Amino acid sequence: MSNLTTTPAVLHLNNVSKSFGSNRAVRGVSLSIQPGEVIGLIGENGAGKSTLLKILSGNYRHDEGTIAVNGREVQFRGPADALRAGIGVVHQEQSLFTNLTIAENIEVNTPIGRGGVNRLGLYNWRRLYADAAQALDLIGSHLNPKTRVSDLSFVDRQMVEIARAIRVSAASHTTPLVILDEPTAILERTETAILEREISKLRDIGSVIFVSHRLDEVMRICDRVVVMRDGELIADRTVDDVTEEELFRLMVGRETHAAVRSRRSIDPANSPVISIHDLTRAGSYADVSIDAYPGRVLAILGTSGSGRESVARAIFGAEGFDSGSVSIAGYSGRQLTIKKAVALGVGYVPAERKTEGMVGEMPADQNITLTHPGSAALGPFELPRRRLSLARAWFEKLDIRPREPGHTLQDFSGGNQQKVVLAKWLNSSHLKALVLDHPLRGLDPGAAETVNAQIRSVCDEGTAIILIPDTIDEALDIADDIVVMRDGRISGVFDLGHDNPATLDLLERML
Amino acid sequence: MVHKVLSEQGAGSITTTAIRIRESGIERRARFRGLAEPLSLLVALAVLIGVFSLLNERFLTTSNIQNVLTQSAIPLIVAVGATLVILLGSIDLSVEGVMGATGMTWILLSNNSRGGADLGPWAWVIALGVALLLGIASGLIFTALKVPSFIVTLGMWYVGLGIATMLYGTDLLPRLQDEGLKGWTSRISFGLPNSFWVALLVIGLGILVLRSTRIGRVTLAIGNSETIVRSAGLPAFPVKVAVFAIAAVLSGLGGILATVQLDIGSPTVGSGVLFIVIPAVVIGGTHLAGGKGGILRTVLGVFLLTILNNGLILSGVESSYQSAVTGAILVAAIVFAAWSQRDRLRVAK
Repeated sequence: MSNLTTTPAVLHLNNVSKSFGSNRAVRGVSLSIQPGEVIGLIGENGAGKSTLLKILSGNYRHDEGTIAVNGREVQFRGPADALRAGIGVVHQEQSLFTNLTIAENIEVNTPIGRGGVNRLGLYNWRRLYADAAQALDLIGSHLNPKTRVSDLSFVDRQMVEIARAIRVSAASHTTPLVILDEPTAILERTETAILEREISKLRDIGSVIFVSHRLDEVMRICDRVVVMRDGELIADRTVDDVTEEELFRLMVGRETHAAVRSRRSIDPANSPVISIHDLTRAGSYADVSIDAYPGRVLAILGTSGSGRESVARAIFGAEGFDSGSVSIAGYSGRQLTIKKAVALGVGYVPAERKTEGMVGEMPADQNITLTHPGSAALGPFELPRRRLSLARAWFEKLDIRPREPGHTLQDFSGGNQQKVVLAKWLNSSHLKALVLDHPLRGLDPGAAETVNAQIRSVCDEGTAIILIPDTIDEALDIADDIVVMRDGRISGVFDLGHDNPATLDLLERML
Repeated sequence: MVHKVLSEQGAGSITTTAIRIRESGIERRARFRGLAEPLSLLVALAVLIGVFSLLNERFLTTSNIQNVLTQSAIPLIVAVGATLVILLGSIDLSVEGVMGATGMTWILLSNNSRGGADLGPWAWVIALGVALLLGIASGLIFTALKVPSFIVTLGMWYVGLGIATMLYGTDLLPRLQDEGLKGWTSRISFGLPNSFWVALLVIGLGILVLRSTRIGRVTLAIGNSETIVRSAGLPAFPVKVAVFAIAAVLSGLGGILATVQLDIGSPTVGSGVLFIVIPAVVIGGTHLAGGKGGILRTVLGVFLLTILNNGLILSGVESSYQSAVTGAILVAAIVFAAWSQRDRLRVAK
């Protein structure tokens, strides 16, 4: 870090602002990043992070202020300009062509007449593969560039995105600045470890802006953390003189509710709502037996190959199984379908909220009454006014904001969307169990906390919850029972009423 | 184990093994998938040929094979363009109209029974120019005005038919007079019909464009996600127009060859081609949603359907049943071809 003063900053923002109508999304942000620095950028959803990133990636033009890259002032007219300047953004939504090979995705911006594309626009495949392999090698990945992206796991796709981001700047001999927009939001534990290693490698060739919701990760990976709130950059600290709690407070503007759940052991007088016995699906999981009790949260931990998602979907009837049994509230049948599961009082919040959990184009109130119309229905009809008042009640109860049940659901933020999805199931008169598949995925800590609080209160009202958490901490935070799966089999069962497993105990059983 | 996870070294070795296992799995799966799909098509083709040769001994004769190749030539040429359009995630229904307009333009400017101008090679240039204009028009309306290609090309089909009908007028049938051209399409050179040689050339060029040019690669990328194409700064707009133009020129070429084959100019010279081309692309395994598929698969699809037609005629299926039988087999083939893409919880719209 001795060259801090001699070399120009990789990126220097001076008083950058951006408004949309009357909404000032980014206000007077100034920031400077040195070569080899890893900066953590945190903030709640709507704090202006994405707008700032879109300015840096050339998708938006800022209204005020200046941006300088490597000491030279720049004006981005489009994403291609930003790439050429050496700024590569790895977006939260993946931006790879899944039907094409790794090599093509990395080389997609190679201009005609350079690299593997000759002056007639014809591709020289051997050259393209070699160049892509070189870019992958820079970040220590040994993926075969001829592989199609659809065959890659999520973390490998991130690698390809990073390789593409540094490829352009490597071609133009500038120091790359790689912006990772929540790269770990949906990664499993082991995969996060791989990504962390790659980020530390990036340090040697360029700088990194790391956007994340996981404060522990930010503390581990970054040199410096900047916090955004309400469009402003309110804090800029080195990781050595800030704590996780302080960051949370800066970000959310209030203290954490570190309310530890008081736990009891399973009451022997109670009988389980959902009981699965020796459930097996060839190639996915085998001999899985789990009992979920009313008023308890049961978390299933495991890595991406553990089969825990498949088990959860089997309970809801969304995936078949080969042998064993699932009994729900006393009913036990060979063929469990989604329809049957819903009729028996099971709800399912899928991991893919946008595609499986909600109808984004529909108003929020209609989403709530979609499965269980409840009092909004009169025979086969639905009464709009009753539906609206029903939805208002749920908006109040779950603190869904803004209080506009008539707006289309896609206009709400992620956390509020998730609460609407929850309300859809809670509107059932006979809800007995909820299966939650990564319910906090992609939510910022503030939103995650309120969703978690709702899950707890639902549980306390006597619903059995089966949870597939994103992290071990999430499980330790909210669960009463923890089941750990490894390679399709149960490797550990803990009743937190009397067991007190350490994170490492759980991790060891997962790997 | 616990200590291994804790220390830097240990974590490294676990993750590298995990990576290696995953990478080998990736390649195995990819290799299997790469072989499985075209293989099932080839098997279907072989079964079909086997069945028909048992039903009728005339089926596997040289003359019938050359006959099948002649019949498949025009659909093949048109299908190369249709494949490109479908890879975009769009569809081109204007095929028959463009064929009619181009074929009619060409014959009226060539040596025909109505007399008039005989422009020789310029007739080809002008006729294909008409096709190009129709294609560019479709492409521009589709991209600039954001009208679904389905609607635009449905309209362009009738525009093409209308142009052909206007050119046709009320006069006598324009009959081809040039003796060298009469029957040229089905004449044999080096063992194969001439029109099939043209088809092979078009297929070769099509594969080159798709595999190794910017237009081809961006076509595949657009089929995957146009949003990503735009945000990567790639030329989505020009490529889309170019693909519609290419498809129309190939339809036009098909229209001229069909006119030569028929000997007379007719606005409906392309009748029935669309019904072979689109299903052939789909049976070949190119996704209607775009992004996945290829030209060689389409070639197999065209052969499958042409052989089916030819075989049914030779096996003595009554002509009144034939269209129903072909239709039913077609639906069955598409259900079969799309079977592997079914996915639980995924709704087809």
